[in-house]
Amino acid sequence: MDAVTYPNAKASKFLMENFVPLRIPYDEQPYMDSFKVRWTPRLFIMDPEGSTHHDAQGFLPPDEFVPFLKLGQAKIAFNANRLDAAVDILEDLLKESAASGSAPEAVYLNGVSQFKKTHDAVALKKVYLRLKFDYPHSSWTPRAYPYWHF
Amino acid sequence: MSEEIIWQTGMDEALNKAGEQGSPILLDFFNPG
Repeated sequence: MDAVTYPNAKASKFLMENFVPLRIPYDEQPYMDSFKVRWTPRLFIMDPEGSTHHDAQGFLPPDEFVPFLKLGQAKIAFNANRLDAAVDILEDLLKESAASGSAPEAVYLNGVSQFKKTHDAVALKKVYLRLKFDYPHSSWTPRAYPYWHF
Repeated sequence: MSEEIIWQTGMDEALNKAGEQGSPILLDFFNPG
């Protein structure tokens, strides 16, 4: 992360403009045990109250790091029922980083957010269809399978 | 040109800053070597 991702201009700019970056040695207690850190890199995205909403294990290159951060932002908004904000972030993620590993979960969460806003089940069917055709091998695709018949 | 990342090094300080800014926190557990 120090050699590749954090020196990347796009990654560092997005991080500094949207997050409070916090670094703790992996073996510092009580955090090592409370976060169950056993290997690095180990990343967590927390809301301002300290609750964890998203995490990652392993190296993330810049093209994966920024969508990872955006998905974390979106999950914080979704979990706070700020659905408009969640949709805005997820639409941006999918527009900018559709090929990233975060994209299939973003498709799923975006469709669910749209459904919760509108109660239109078509939003859920669109989730399944987009995952089936754009991300057929993602673990998120079968999770949307129950929506195919809407 | 990359933007310098200014890391917080304490949990309480980071939470205070996040609360003031209304920003989320990226917590990176790193190996100091």
